Amino acid sequence: MEELLLLPGESVKDIAKDVTYICPFSGAYRGSFTVTNYRLYFRSLERDRHLVLDAPLGIISRIEKIGGAASRGENPNGIEIVCKDMRNIRFAYKQDLRTRKSVFENLVKFAFPLNYGLPLFAFEYKEVFPENGWKVYDPIQEYRRQGIPNESWRITRVNERYELCDTYPACLVVPANISDDELRKIAAFRAQDRIPVLSWIHPESQAAITRCSQPLPGVNGKRSKEDEKYLQSIMDANAQSHKVFIFDARPSVNAVANKAKGGGYESEDAYQNAELVFLDIHNIHVMRESQRKLKEISYPSIQEANWLSNLESTHWLEHIKLILAGALRIADKVESGKTSVVVHCSDGWDRTPQLTSLAMIMLDGYYRTIRGFEVLVEKEWVSFGHRFYQRTGHGDKNHADADRSPMFLQFIDCVWQMTRQFPNAFEFNEHFLIIILDHLYSCLFGTFLCNCELQKLKEGVVEESVSLWSFINSQLEDFINPLYVNYSSHVLYPVTSTRNLELWAGYYIRWNPRTRPPGAINSRYKVLLAKRAELQKRLEELQREISNRSTSSSDRGSSPQPITSVQTVV
Amino acid sequence: MFSLRQPKPSFKSYLLPPQQEDKLNPETKIKKLKPVLLPGEIVVNEVNFVRKCIASDTSQYDLWGKLVCTNFKISFITENSVPFQRFHYKNLLLGEHDVPLTCIEQIVVVNDTKRKQKILSHNQKLKFNPTELIIYCKDFRILRFRFDEAGPESAKKVCLALAHYSQPTDLQLLFAFEYVAQMYHNPADKVNGIDPGGGDFCQRTPLFETYSDWDREIKRTGASDWRVCSVNEGYMISTCLPEYFVVPSSLADQDLKQYSHAFVGRRMPLWCWNHSNGSALVRMASIKDLLQLRKIDQRVCSGITRSHPLRSDVYKCDLDHNVPGIQDIHVAFSKLRQLCVNEPFDETEEKWLSSLENTRWLEFVRTFLKQAAELVYMLDFSRRSVVLQEEEGRDVSCLVASLVQLMLDPYFRTIVGFQSLIQKEWVMSAYPFLDRCNHLKRSEKESPLFVLFLDCVWQLLQQYPAAFQFTETYLTVLHDSTRNSLFGTFLFNSPHQRVQQSTEFAIGKNIQLGEEKGLKFPSVWDWSLQFSAKDRALFNNPLYIGKSVPCVQNGAVKSFKRTKKNYSSTMRGMPPSLKNGLVIQQEIMPRRNSLILKLKPEILQQVPVMPSNGFEQYLRDWFSKPADLHGVILPCLHGTHIKIWKLCYLRWTPEAQINHGGFIMAFQRISILASEIELLQSRLRQYRGYPLSNATSPAGEQNRMFFRPEVLHSSNESLDILSSSFPFSPIGNLCRRSILGTPLSKFLNGAKIWLSTETLANED
Repeated sequence: MEELLLLPGESVKDIAKDVTYICPFSGAYRGSFTVTNYRLYFRSLERDRHLVLDAPLGIISRIEKIGGAASRGENPNGIEIVCKDMRNIRFAYKQDLRTRKSVFENLVKFAFPLNYGLPLFAFEYKEVFPENGWKVYDPIQEYRRQGIPNESWRITRVNERYELCDTYPACLVVPANISDDELRKIAAFRAQDRIPVLSWIHPESQAAITRCSQPLPGVNGKRSKEDEKYLQSIMDANAQSHKVFIFDARPSVNAVANKAKGGGYESEDAYQNAELVFLDIHNIHVMRESQRKLKEISYPSIQEANWLSNLESTHWLEHIKLILAGALRIADKVESGKTSVVVHCSDGWDRTPQLTSLAMIMLDGYYRTIRGFEVLVEKEWVSFGHRFYQRTGHGDKNHADADRSPMFLQFIDCVWQMTRQFPNAFEFNEHFLIIILDHLYSCLFGTFLCNCELQKLKEGVVEESVSLWSFINSQLEDFINPLYVNYSSHVLYPVTSTRNLELWAGYYIRWNPRTRPPGAINSRYKVLLAKRAELQKRLEELQREISNRSTSSSDRGSSPQPITSVQTVV
Repeated sequence: MFSLRQPKPSFKSYLLPPQQEDKLNPETKIKKLKPVLLPGEIVVNEVNFVRKCIASDTSQYDLWGKLVCTNFKISFITENSVPFQRFHYKNLLLGEHDVPLTCIEQIVVVNDTKRKQKILSHNQKLKFNPTELIIYCKDFRILRFRFDEAGPESAKKVCLALAHYSQPTDLQLLFAFEYVAQMYHNPADKVNGIDPGGGDFCQRTPLFETYSDWDREIKRTGASDWRVCSVNEGYMISTCLPEYFVVPSSLADQDLKQYSHAFVGRRMPLWCWNHSNGSALVRMASIKDLLQLRKIDQRVCSGITRSHPLRSDVYKCDLDHNVPGIQDIHVAFSKLRQLCVNEPFDETEEKWLSSLENTRWLEFVRTFLKQAAELVYMLDFSRRSVVLQEEEGRDVSCLVASLVQLMLDPYFRTIVGFQSLIQKEWVMSAYPFLDRCNHLKRSEKESPLFVLFLDCVWQLLQQYPAAFQFTETYLTVLHDSTRNSLFGTFLFNSPHQRVQQSTEFAIGKNIQLGEEKGLKFPSVWDWSLQFSAKDRALFNNPLYIGKSVPCVQNGAVKSFKRTKKNYSSTMRGMPPSLKNGLVIQQEIMPRRNSLILKLKPEILQQVPVMPSNGFEQYLRDWFSKPADLHGVILPCLHGTHIKIWKLCYLRWTPEAQINHGGFIMAFQRISILASEIELLQSRLRQYRGYPLSNATSPAGEQNRMFFRPEVLHSSNESLDILSSSFPFSPIGNLCRRSILGTPLSKFLNGAKIWLSTETLANED
């Protein structure tokens, strides 16, 4: 039977012997329940019914006591653990024993360490991997890969101390003719000081994807000359087009409503040569609600009769579609229209990275490799201040926090949709995406802990914790898509019709034992690869044997012709 | 469905306009165009200067040519080539723009100026000259022709001829008869240079027309207490039974003859298949004689029981109650078609999922798969013989019986096996193809049961992609072949009807039949009639390399060992591939075909003791182990696993097509690898002194892949033809909004509303 193997830095905090795990699929199991500073671990003690439940505490969203009058029976008391990864876990225990209570008190304590003055486990985890994931992303190197700096774009150090914008990274790329002083003025005209900066540049047309937050015209239609000049410079940096497109991720109604709060959008009077497009993607609250509904219909059991209409009523796929379609428009504008684009939402840290990073995946094959994808996540999400901490609510009890929202999950879902449509365009497999999502919540690695680069620096995340990429890059073979072909120059245009979008059952419904695990074709392909290797080896052995024989014994009439290459075809 | 609006261009192309070649004398050119005709095929009517519409919002890609109606097809002949993509395979019987008459669902004629529109049925009068002809096809295509430049009278004549010939009054007017007569009269006539009746799969597919085919099937399945019965020779007993069929050895011919009167259609129990554990699958019609019901039922059942080694009780499955009837299935399919061809595309987008649900098609797919799986449980686990009962025993029984066998017996997952299954359970068991396919367009009894069957098979194929020798392309062209009146396979309501009708026809045509029982029609299994050897390679599934790659049997990966260490095992406590809170069910869930399988062998032994429904338990146990692809396979019945068969139903929808994407991209890679493996194996055989297997040998053809390494080397552009509709192409076969080539148009379908300030028309 499987023993609990502790991670370096992990320690057992409490054990209870006689606890019942109520599995929604196969019934109740008696066993022992262990809480460490990293996980909850349940092991059934029943003969012939082995079961291990091993879950990091980081996935816990809330813990509720259940029981009382409603469920009188053998196990009148219990807890329900509501998880961030689309499942709920139930335990029951007998009322009279006090020890049980302490174990659940400890569970709460270590599930929500921040409420008890304890550190997140990532800061205690002491594993050493051969690869250092913190070295994966170096902004200078990534910009150099894109050919930056060049005559139109420069790297500025104006935000080195995070004084220009505290949620932006230290290293920014801006049009070469805009001075740092002007940047400061522009920052005042953009929400959260998030000025337009370059995310990606087309290697041939020089059309660029830039990102920022909404401008601040407010109700009075305030203008900023510097900001207008700035957008003009973005356009001028690309000789191929006489326009710049502004993609506002929001529904136009929301953008208008933002004026009342001092925000708004670029008016076409103020920004000549700019065209504004609204992409109709809803805000974090709508997305959170959609995810809640999705969980409601998919866990624990699925109502077969109305599955599709229930799925439709969650609007989850509709949101996925809008995000993908928005990214597609951006990618096409850059690729086919050779036009530079500016992408923003309200604050520029939720829908904006969804759109820019997806468009970059469509446009640049590098981001479809494992390393390139890691760079993309580090760059567009982590360094540009997607509020991972707030959106996931690491180690915090306040499950009803309105800042929580599945933004990053949606992005990964969109990537998964693309991997479905282009099964050999991505170097990584489905498992890779699932692992990333698992560690979005697990708090095992430092990668997704903070809200921005500055906070990451203050908390000493790089020094004190391990990067998720360290783990992944140390066992790459688990994450490789065997079908991958490197067509790096291909631009991918996914089809965003509902007909071609699917619910990602391998992630959302994976707890259901009837869901088939993904990757049947990939693993079959791996088997065939191995078969080929084996045949090649045998053939080479035979060839060697025959050439040995033919040199020793002089001649055999019917010996087959020697074959030199096995790759060419008769 | 389609608006009468004049198409107006709202779209600018990046591509050069179609070449305006030889404007000088297009008239004589078009007049000179000649249709390609099969033996026995005659031109009924034709009209020149017809425009075939390619897109519904612009006429710029339209093709000019001649529209010809023959007794076999509607044919559009043009010298223009279709812009952009084309078919990537060629049907040898049909040109790119041809549609067999039996594939036509509905003919609509339109007159713009008079704003009139009419559905043409047989022998109807037409009071206006049509300016436009729209053909709705049974395979979900829509064809649109305009007669602006054509002679109004001849246009009208073609439309009327089309209506007349596509809705024949008599079975013998279907083209196959004319074709076969020609073959008998001129045996030298060969279509496409190939002798009909030849072909590799055809020769090896048992048709179950003879005693020996049934006898071999008994031996193959080890059904020792069953025998071939020939009481129906010459269809003496029943006209809806095959001449030979299999019955329990304990039932004597005399008894059978006597019992037969009690059954609807005199359809006695028919044996289908035997499990190696001795359980048998049997199908029979209802007993109509209520007085004798109990007695005969008992006799028959005890006969079946006696043929079971354990003498276990028969399990009766009342299909009339358990599964939807043919009417409901027909309605569901009509709704599905409506949804799939719906125009405009965007309007169906938002409610796509619920509309799909409302068709109930997927629900029915699931119901049948589930019913079949339950019977698999009875046969395989409970070791009871199963009797399928249905009023006439020749509709849903065909479907259920075939699915059960497909799940239980890997032989039926080979191409030859699958074809023999269709022969055995559909063709010879007198599934009324004529009525259900509605070839004569006047049947009240139309129902797409066979399509439903192919759909169910497709579900299994996409769930277990390595368990089948054939591909979804194979299933799709098989689907299309049911709409082609050349093949005898799907033309008749029973084998008896074939014999009777064709004998009658032969006498009328003065054809000497000799020893033969009726005319010999081309078989659909003779794929060489329709496709070249190269295109037939598209049928071969590269993931299925027979049993020659035994790696995944019983979950143990034999010939492949992972050598590199996994961090999970070497590093203290790093959960194996981040188990990260997986509930144990997930752990014991087979990573089917996966290499990680053996990491947790001990947990696989888990035997849940929950007392529950035996079938549920059986499913759970089965799913908790790795699937043996050469053993029993069971369907996943979750809503998320039952999907819409896009290649078949959405292949003509340009908006749903993924360029450079779709499963074909994986398929191509796997094919190349499979070819390389084949090649290495043949090299090895060569070294060991076996004769070199050449590509023309049956085994060679069978394993040949459409995509091979040398093809890849020679042209990178071969990738450009790939799309999710491959080998079909939506373009040029449908009158829809133009989608041609540029991704821009796709954006129109990206979201519900664009509150955008830009106008797509004038950009760029």
